[in-house]
Amino acid sequence: MAFEPRIIAYLCTWCSYTGADTAGIARLKSPANIRDIRVPCSGRVSPELVMRTFDQGADGVLILGCHIGECHYETGNHRAAKRLPILRALMGYAGLEPERLRLDWVSASEGERFSRIATEFVDTVRALGPVRWRVPGDEIPALTQQFAAICGDVPLGEYDCAAKTDAIRAKAKELLTSGAVGYVVGYEVGPRGRTRPSFANTPEEADKLVWNPDCTYNLTTYLGKKRRPAVKGIEQPKPVAVVVKPCDSRAINVLLTENQFPREQVYIIGVTCEGTRHDHGALQVRCQTCNDRVPIVYDTLIGEPPAPVPEHPTPVALKIAELEKETPAERMEFWLSQFDRCIRCYACRQACPMCNCPVCLYERDDSLWIGMGVNMNEKRAFHLGRAYHMAGRCIGCNECERACPMNIPISLLNMKMAQEIEAAFGHRAGMEPVPSPVVTILSGEYKEG
Amino acid sequence: MTDSQEQNPMKPYLGKLVAVKDLATEIKLFRVELMNGGSEAFSAYQPGQFAFVSAFGFGEAPFGIANTPQRGPCVDFAVNRLGSVTTGLHELGEGDIVGVRGPLGNCFPMDQFKGKNLIVLGGGIGGAPLRPVIQTVLDHRADYGRLTILWAARLPSLLVFTDEYDEWRAAPDTSLHLTVDQADEKWDHNVGLITQLLEKVTPSSENAVTITCGPPIMIYYVTRMLAQMGFALKDNYVTLEARMHCGLGKCGRCNLGTKLICVDGPVFNMAQVGELMETFL
Amino acid sequence: MNLITQAQLAEWLDGLARQRTLIAPHEVAGVLLYRPVESSQKIAWGFGRTVMSVKEAFFPPTERLLTIEKSDGGIKLIENLPEGEQVLFGVRPCDARGVRILDALFLDKEPVDPYYARRRANTALVGLACKEMGPTCFCTSVGGAPDEASDMDVMLYEVEGGYAVETVTEKGKALLQTINLEEQTVEKPIVNRQSPALSVAEGSIENQKSPIPNPQFISWPAHFTSEYWPRVSERCLSCRACTYVCPTCRCFIIRDEVLPYTSGEPAAGAFERIRCWDSCEGENYRRIAGGHRQRAEKSERLRNRFFCKFYYYPEQYGLGAASACTGCGRCVDICPVNVDITEVLTDLAR
Repeated sequence: MAFEPRIIAYLCTWCSYTGADTAGIARLKSPANIRDIRVPCSGRVSPELVMRTFDQGADGVLILGCHIGECHYETGNHRAAKRLPILRALMGYAGLEPERLRLDWVSASEGERFSRIATEFVDTVRALGPVRWRVPGDEIPALTQQFAAICGDVPLGEYDCAAKTDAIRAKAKELLTSGAVGYVVGYEVGPRGRTRPSFANTPEEADKLVWNPDCTYNLTTYLGKKRRPAVKGIEQPKPVAVVVKPCDSRAINVLLTENQFPREQVYIIGVTCEGTRHDHGALQVRCQTCNDRVPIVYDTLIGEPPAPVPEHPTPVALKIAELEKETPAERMEFWLSQFDRCIRCYACRQACPMCNCPVCLYERDDSLWIGMGVNMNEKRAFHLGRAYHMAGRCIGCNECERACPMNIPISLLNMKMAQEIEAAFGHRAGMEPVPSPVVTILSGEYKEG
Repeated sequence: MTDSQEQNPMKPYLGKLVAVKDLATEIKLFRVELMNGGSEAFSAYQPGQFAFVSAFGFGEAPFGIANTPQRGPCVDFAVNRLGSVTTGLHELGEGDIVGVRGPLGNCFPMDQFKGKNLIVLGGGIGGAPLRPVIQTVLDHRADYGRLTILWAARLPSLLVFTDEYDEWRAAPDTSLHLTVDQADEKWDHNVGLITQLLEKVTPSSENAVTITCGPPIMIYYVTRMLAQMGFALKDNYVTLEARMHCGLGKCGRCNLGTKLICVDGPVFNMAQVGELMETFL
Repeated sequence: MNLITQAQLAEWLDGLARQRTLIAPHEVAGVLLYRPVESSQKIAWGFGRTVMSVKEAFFPPTERLLTIEKSDGGIKLIENLPEGEQVLFGVRPCDARGVRILDALFLDKEPVDPYYARRRANTALVGLACKEMGPTCFCTSVGGAPDEASDMDVMLYEVEGGYAVETVTEKGKALLQTINLEEQTVEKPIVNRQSPALSVAEGSIENQKSPIPNPQFISWPAHFTSEYWPRVSERCLSCRACTYVCPTCRCFIIRDEVLPYTSGEPAAGAFERIRCWDSCEGENYRRIAGGHRQRAEKSERLRNRFFCKFYYYPEQYGLGAASACTGCGRCVDICPVNVDITEVLTDLAR
């Protein structure tokens, strides 16, 4: 029997669903392959819903909304117009042919248009053949691709840190002695000789703070409510001070636009940066081409701006370009082989300054988006979903990849999303206190009463 | 594989719902007739024990058993609709099938309570595991001393087992005191927290034990007041809660210090709770 | 002990792989894991320690307990007990000790967990002694040793020319029947039981060489309310990686989900009841319906992890004086912010 694709169509109730009705009443031929699901607005069709539709086995997903300018909710279809192409790029990158996901506009009276688009779409998907996306049942795909962690091999030697260390200690002492802050988050060297995050609660403790090439951690992760230690013994919450590198400072801008904390609750000790080291001494990949060597936002600045580095592509960018040239099937196998060893520990999410949902969508007990098992479809849904949620918000600190016990190259997802957002909107996360273009911010008029 | 629970403690017995009654707003009573060997397992459960009830397709959750075998042969559960499993259960009706795993946990030492005066304090849905205590006393009235019941809820519409209050009041040497946090026009009993009611009733601590069940914060304040009223900690019995998943002492979730609520509890006396290191709040 | 060469060992393992599932250290994209291998050639010879422990072979990250079929005729429950024999090769003594510690919970304490019990009965442990201790190892501080054989079925020691073979159990003896053991014997090698990187102590780490303290001599209840826990947990991210790599952490969650289908469409009314790993470090681990959360502070959660490992678990499951920690050091290596169990023990013992 010839292959007939199964298509799910999300039709907005005001325009496109009525448009489909109009096509039916006019007896226009529309393919029977499509199962319609009526939604209030095309903007309501969330990426997780689309991903789940493909995870359940749909060969194609069609989303139809009102024409731009005619949305019943004014800007709902704008949301769809911004978000769904980014999702298509992400899923394409993960191995789904982009032609299987289509967003278009049909008004209530355009029966012919509906019929034409529906037929076109079914023809396209039929030509592509049965979808290869869902990993069936208990199948463990035979995976052959191995891809070792991206670390590059540019060595980073020691550089003079004594001046910066002294300056950080002095500033911390000053802030703690005056009582301006409850504690200072910086770096220290532990008894095993490893540099690690440090919390100085008193002026004496400020002496343990250091600056060295291993200060790779993003300390802004401690500013969100979930991971922020309480300020001890003080009734009124006091501000906290945090030592930030230039990349970290971008996180502060993102967190401010998302109202994670008021600006006056954080005292930013900005430090210029010559680059930081990976565990085995090589320069971090993100530092190889970084020319943002001075923090974007700070209350005090320590250090002189270092010399700029020549532009050249990083191993991450090169790998993304390589993946983009492969076929969808090759890309799918690459990504499945990476997600295969994921254990859903969520270390990536916990290490990320931007992941602050009180209960993560992928861990909710009543979640209908994703199951809780450690199996391929679920793991991929989590990683792609999180990458999508980070679109336009991720500042590329790579803490997620560093924290992953399984060396999953998460930066390949995050940087791809950053490239898509920059190409589509000219936006780079955190360079200014401006929200991500794909995040919906309710305007002041809609404040809770 | 046979259906014997001896072989697989993770496999529930099947049970048919012979009755589903509204007890209060968003609270229903489920009366379950155990099938295929389950009735044997549930022939001798004690007040204070619990069981996992499955809404198949949603999951399972632990519920205190709300009656005694003497008032059986079916097993009663009171279910408050709060999450996915309880929503799944609330969608079921008479004749539907659920799963039941149990009976699990320890129990109230009813034998040790014989000859003593009992003060039972129930807050909201916490009254459910106390109902078998009341039923045991009522069915063996001569074995026990005075029975004082303090029953509380946030609103009158959230009081449970209202159609049994007359039976309780009618029993010899038994008193029932009701209170709600917020009354409506039809309410003509006490208004206030259960601690305020306790202050008003002032039961004597002589030859008495207390049995409390309700939200953790209620247990905290009630037992604090009882201590002030002269009750020894060891005479205050509570059933504690913590999120449970296996009920068998394996999954490790329900520990309070060295004790596992599912196997060492859920019934504790407050002297034991004081030794726990970790707070139950 | 008998001596076998590398070639003999490879041949023996290939033979075992043909009859049952051979699980051995294997490199996956630069990460060392215990994985099923079809032949000895896929084994990562010369490995030190894997990232994940062998507990996956007995207690997998996701396990189907029951299949549930809902229809008009009622409910049908089908148990999904694991089948198939396994051989674990290259098990380090710390991991084997971890299996014993899990036995105390899943097997020795009533009721027996039938899923774990099946896997345990169907699995043989072929150990490989460590030649030396790694920088983060401290098995000797918790009653273990790099060459401890008592938890294995067969134990191998690397020697000149091959491996010294020790038969430990009857199951191991039966396994060894397919190999011709050399007539020549060899002495059990002596292993260095000094942890090379030094212990964590105040001041310069070059000067102090005292071992990591034995946790059984720490008075745990006395430290429960200490200010130490809020301090050490300041940098904790609640990332949960420590519990997942640990050979003995076993917290799990149970839920019903739609049964994964192989072709066509999901069958209506087909569900599976699964159990999956979970971690006490997670923020919502003790969140109950209605929203109340016990252990809301990360200091309470981190404290619980250490207390469970060294005080609660041993008491709950009858380990006696021993702790539930095997000293493998995985959590030390994996923690993104260097929360160090050996540092905690050293600080508390002081």
